[in-house]
Amino acid sequence: MEELKMWLNFPVVASFAIVLWLAATGLFLFSASKLLNRLAAGLSVTGTVALLVFVIMLWISIDRPPMRTLGETRLWYAIFLSGIGLISYFRWKYKWLVCYSLTLAVMFLSVNLNHPETYDKTLMPALQSPWFVPHVIVYIFAYALLGASSLVAIRILFVKQSGKAISGPVSMADNLVYLGFSFLTLGLLFGALWAKEAWGHYWTWDPKETWAFITWMFYLVYIHYRFRNPLAHNKAMMILAASFVILLICWFGVNYLPSAQNSVHIYTE
Amino acid sequence: MSNENSRKTWAHPWSYREGTIVTVAILLLGFALQAAGGGMVLRFSGFPWNLISGIVFLGILVSCYLWLKKHRAVKWLGSVKAALPAILGFTFLVLLMGFVKQDVVHQNSLVRIFGLSHLVQTWPFILINLYLMVLLGIVTLKRLTPFTLRNFGFFLNHFGLFLVLFSTALGSSDVQTLNMNCYENKSEWRASDRRGNIVELPLAIKLLDFSIEEFRPKVTIVDNKTGKILMDKNRQSFELLDRDTFDLFEYHLEVDTFLATSGKVGESYFAVNEPGSSPSAMVKVTNSLNGTVISGWICSGSFVLQPEALKLNETYSLVMLPAEPKKFSSEVSVLTNDGTSRIVMIEVNKPFRINGWTIYQLSYNEEMGRWSDMSVLQFVRDPWLPAVYSGIFLMMAGAVFLFIFGKPKNGGVENVA
Ligand code: HEM
Repeated sequence: MEELKMWLNFPVVASFAIVLWLAATGLFLFSASKLLNRLAAGLSVTGTVALLVFVIMLWISIDRPPMRTLGETRLWYAIFLSGIGLISYFRWKYKWLVCYSLTLAVMFLSVNLNHPETYDKTLMPALQSPWFVPHVIVYIFAYALLGASSLVAIRILFVKQSGKAISGPVSMADNLVYLGFSFLTLGLLFGALWAKEAWGHYWTWDPKETWAFITWMFYLVYIHYRFRNPLAHNKAMMILAASFVILLICWFGVNYLPSAQNSVHIYTE
Repeated sequence: MSNENSRKTWAHPWSYREGTIVTVAILLLGFALQAAGGGMVLRFSGFPWNLISGIVFLGILVSCYLWLKKHRAVKWLGSVKAALPAILGFTFLVLLMGFVKQDVVHQNSLVRIFGLSHLVQTWPFILINLYLMVLLGIVTLKRLTPFTLRNFGFFLNHFGLFLVLFSTALGSSDVQTLNMNCYENKSEWRASDRRGNIVELPLAIKLLDFSIEEFRPKVTIVDNKTGKILMDKNRQSFELLDRDTFDLFEYHLEVDTFLATSGKVGESYFAVNEPGSSPSAMVKVTNSLNGTVISGWICSGSFVLQPEALKLNETYSLVMLPAEPKKFSSEVSVLTNDGTSRIVMIEVNKPFRINGWTIYQLSYNEEMGRWSDMSVLQFVRDPWLPAVYSGIFLMMAGAVFLFIFGKPKNGGVENVA
């Protein structure tokens, strides 16, 4: 129990991860040595694992999946984002992507440090379902992949301005979108099946559902545009960057929209 | 690209430009029809007319494709140049729904005349859906051959979506949603629809027992004068009474006794288990700033019991909030027309299916809380559900396909007609 308490000290774990990730980013950026890059990868893996352990401990201690509040979803996002950055580094050796994702993950953790969470242990009956965990995990994983793809897009738009050739990164954006989009689709459909079980209808155009659908449509536009106009990189990347804005509205913004009062999907702050 | 710019609109081959014109025309026509009808809500006819029109639609679509597939307009209908503007047009409508609150009465006359507050049941929405179904239908037929792995994945995604759109559109009018108020130990077979009409069901329900499992209640601190809960952005305003000691702001609480259901006799509470009894706790509160100690009972109250707060000082009191439900369920006996009866449990997230009906646990008498002797059940019948689910499962398989095989290897260029 005492050990659990120590692990549940969020400021300590979060600062630990932040320091490791920042150090790793620095090493990735300023060193070409193979050894130092390995060290950087090791540091960031440690940070991610520490955070993952924290979330699992939290899950055990509050006796419900920690996926109910915005702050909790930010924790998962930080884990997945750093994880995806690392995987793509091991797979394709894209240093800049791992740096961007780590920085973004650091940002999410810092937001959480400034807004300490209140871990409410109660969970309304409608959310107590075997669908809850897959639905949320799949969604956040999709968000993280699509977020990474938008980072790639923004990077390409900037590099393009400096006149360098691009093409590898574009296909990387495609890969991330295809992966992220398949998860997004699954999240949407899991949500529909769950809603049918819980409320009797699979789709009610609740504001969160509506915005999730809009997000899905934007990535659908990207996929089709890329398919038909494979050489128009610039426009495709602009679509991708815009899609991310929609995704952010869906995730955070919906809470503040007038159309969304009383939605079951609102994360509690 | 250059000859695309010099090409006259409507001269073949059609492109995004024609796609945009067609989509915008459909939207404008839809809004015009909606306004002409005074913003009326549309309802599709129920069985058998929906089934007949569905079959007619499919017949026309398939035969048009078979006879005219070489026609340049049909080729265009099966291309991204028609699809993209259509998807964007649909997105536009959904964006409207994202900003205008749906299913409520709006004062704004523009919102009313164009039906923006119930877009799903308006002409523009229905026409765009129809157009998307035509496009999806044609592109599905076009990519049925040759039968390759890539085309199979294509089929899963596009036909899956087609099936979902098709069956939800046609099936919406056959969905029946009825609410039934059941009282303990009484048989009930009448339920009411959304408009309050009474409908007699072919089965009877007898509520044997309604029960609620609750979380432990939460405690919090309120301002004596305003009654407002003490808030601090950096600290937790509530604590669940599930431990013996904890801290709330600068107060240290020790729980001496906790009674899940209790009644009050004189100044104290005792464990009883009868309607209207409520959780209560004897607590000792130490102010960690000045060391003063106060102890006493707190109680969250019920429809028979007054809530009881513990006054900590001139400004603040400790209160116990009503317990939140963890799970509520109805044990019912279901009697069908053929005389068979069975006993089942219906719970949130665990509906019960019988003879085409799905029975959901919806609500209860909230004023009476855990002592409610009434349970609201919801009956839903949706005969088109198997078709919708088939579409959903096809799309799930399609998503898994995209996950495994990803983007077309050649980047798509070679597939473009
Ligand atoms: C909203 C209605 C949709 C329309 C009208 C539509 C239409 C089209 C069209 C015309 C093409 C080009 C096919 C060709 O030229 O041979 C295409 C390709 C594609 N579509 Fe869609 N589509 C829709 C929805 C979807 C959905 C829901 C998904 C995925 C879940 C999807 C995924 C794809 C993919 C991955 C391609 C690339 C082609 C390939 O895989 O071979 N589309 N779509």
